[in-house]
Amino acid sequence: MSVVGRMTERLLRRGIVGFVALLLGITLFELVQPIIAKSLGGPQALGSLLQALPPAFQALVKTRPEFITVSGLAGYLTLGFTHPLFLVLIASAIIGFATRTLAGEMERGTIQLPLARPVSRLQVYAARVLGIAVESLVLAVAAPVGIMLGLQIAHPAGTVIYRYFVPTAITTALLAWAIGGLTLLGSAAANTSGRAVGWATGAFAVFYFVDYFASLWHPLKPLDPLSIFHYYNPAPALVHGTLSWSDVLVLLAVGAAGSLAGLAVFARRDLPT
Amino acid sequence: MSDGRRGVETAIATRGLTKRYGHVAALTDVTLTVPVGTIYGFLGPNGAGKTTTIRLLMGFIKPTAGTAGIFGHDTWRDGVAARQDLGFLVPADALYPDMSGQALLAYAARLSGRPPTLQAPLLKALEFPEEALGRRLGTYSKGMRQKLALVAAIQHDPALLILDEPTDGLDPLIQRRFEEFLRELNARGRTIFMSSHDLAEVERVCERVAVVRDGHLVAAETIAGLKRLHRRTASVTFAGPVPDAIAHVPHVALLARSAHRADLAIEGDLNPLLRFLATQQVSDFVLAPPRLEDIFLDFYGASANGRAEPEPAASGAAKS
Repeated sequence: MSVVGRMTERLLRRGIVGFVALLLGITLFELVQPIIAKSLGGPQALGSLLQALPPAFQALVKTRPEFITVSGLAGYLTLGFTHPLFLVLIASAIIGFATRTLAGEMERGTIQLPLARPVSRLQVYAARVLGIAVESLVLAVAAPVGIMLGLQIAHPAGTVIYRYFVPTAITTALLAWAIGGLTLLGSAAANTSGRAVGWATGAFAVFYFVDYFASLWHPLKPLDPLSIFHYYNPAPALVHGTLSWSDVLVLLAVGAAGSLAGLAVFARRDLPT
Repeated sequence: MSDGRRGVETAIATRGLTKRYGHVAALTDVTLTVPVGTIYGFLGPNGAGKTTTIRLLMGFIKPTAGTAGIFGHDTWRDGVAARQDLGFLVPADALYPDMSGQALLAYAARLSGRPPTLQAPLLKALEFPEEALGRRLGTYSKGMRQKLALVAAIQHDPALLILDEPTDGLDPLIQRRFEEFLRELNARGRTIFMSSHDLAEVERVCERVAVVRDGHLVAAETIAGLKRLHRRTASVTFAGPVPDAIAHVPHVALLARSAHRADLAIEGDLNPLLRFLATQQVSDFVLAPPRLEDIFLDFYGASANGRAEPEPAASGAAKS
């Protein structure tokens, strides 16, 4: 295995307990969605229920009652991918990894172990990027697995095409990748993991609320493209099996740009004492 | 030692090495050469610039001005090549606490890209209990972590070792064994650059020392050379009265005199005094052996007393 591969393995192993706990949380959260769908009485009832909620609540889960009424069970299940709790769980895992493995290691001094050897900063950084890519994929798979388990348990009315989970997982992985890239940039610039977590959490909240308020208040609509959540639309993926390639490219580019900018910062900076 | 090092005579070379943090100068214009095959001590009080120098050598921080090179490779611009044949002592509290000792040594060896040929003899010399290798580092005492950090730094038998306070936390017996290990490595051509607060240790182990104070290199000399140039004290008891001419002997200052005894300070060459005493009836002569600690305390003293520069011995050696 290459040096980068060994370092990635080490980084993933180190936070494995917390990561598995978050995976279980995501899986459980998604597992209950089909059960809830069945208990509420099908898509029509779900649409009516959502209709009764004020627009501010509807915007929280990025959906419309008509959409659920028309799209059926699959439409309802997209709520599991847009719910704030799901997004927080995904962000927690990725922000935790990106801050712990770079800013955290610089803060504790553990990053000296590879950097005191014939290992370049590029390799050290690449291991973090690879780790984020791996965690993004695993997180993205956890959600469909939870839903599929829930479908097997509850058997709610309606149909879900299982192969549509693939584009849905890709969308989720790309969101995690974008969050990870931006967090790596902050992590590369920070001297402590606490500061990096603060920056990343702040950016996550700003992105989320820009997207949220832009969907509620028309004058803010022009700001919406500035949020990464504007490009995160799992509903067409799960309902129709389609991906918006422009959204895919934007999320890919945001993650890559964040990672590259972070590399530029990390390669030039002093390690903290 | 790798073949790439053959023919290289300088292990470490810095030129005008300077590091500033804003308006604060941590290190100023340090020019230092560490020849291959030496054990080089690096001394200075806390905050003098030792750790900054070592971090610059490791490429952990970027010089504000000047250069630092290891085996001819710039440590900032060509860090991977500079660290190709290097062993660095990572601080004991900067090791992964969740790893076992064995896992950490294996990981360090993999990153070094060389087999850990010295692992077993080092573990033995440091009396590291074998059963502890399977335990997590978080359960280790400070001394055990320090031992493991030393093994991780040296196990791949590098041509150059950079050790910051290597015996910190080790008991005296293990400290002596480790010193012996370093001497054996040096006998096989390895270069060792070490900082230490234990001046007696530096005196026992090192051939040459550099002293930094307030971010400036104030001395870089062999220990023997420093001692030769250092002010020493002597006490002479004459059979008769103390001759007045003793006050005029080159390099000698009369500190105190009684009827038959003179207390002297000797700065530099001792031979004029010995030649003078050979012409006198001397009943006793006591020359206090110079100690590195005294020399070092002179540098400290110069700083504490607010003097601009230390002893003349240092200023001439600053650019070695």
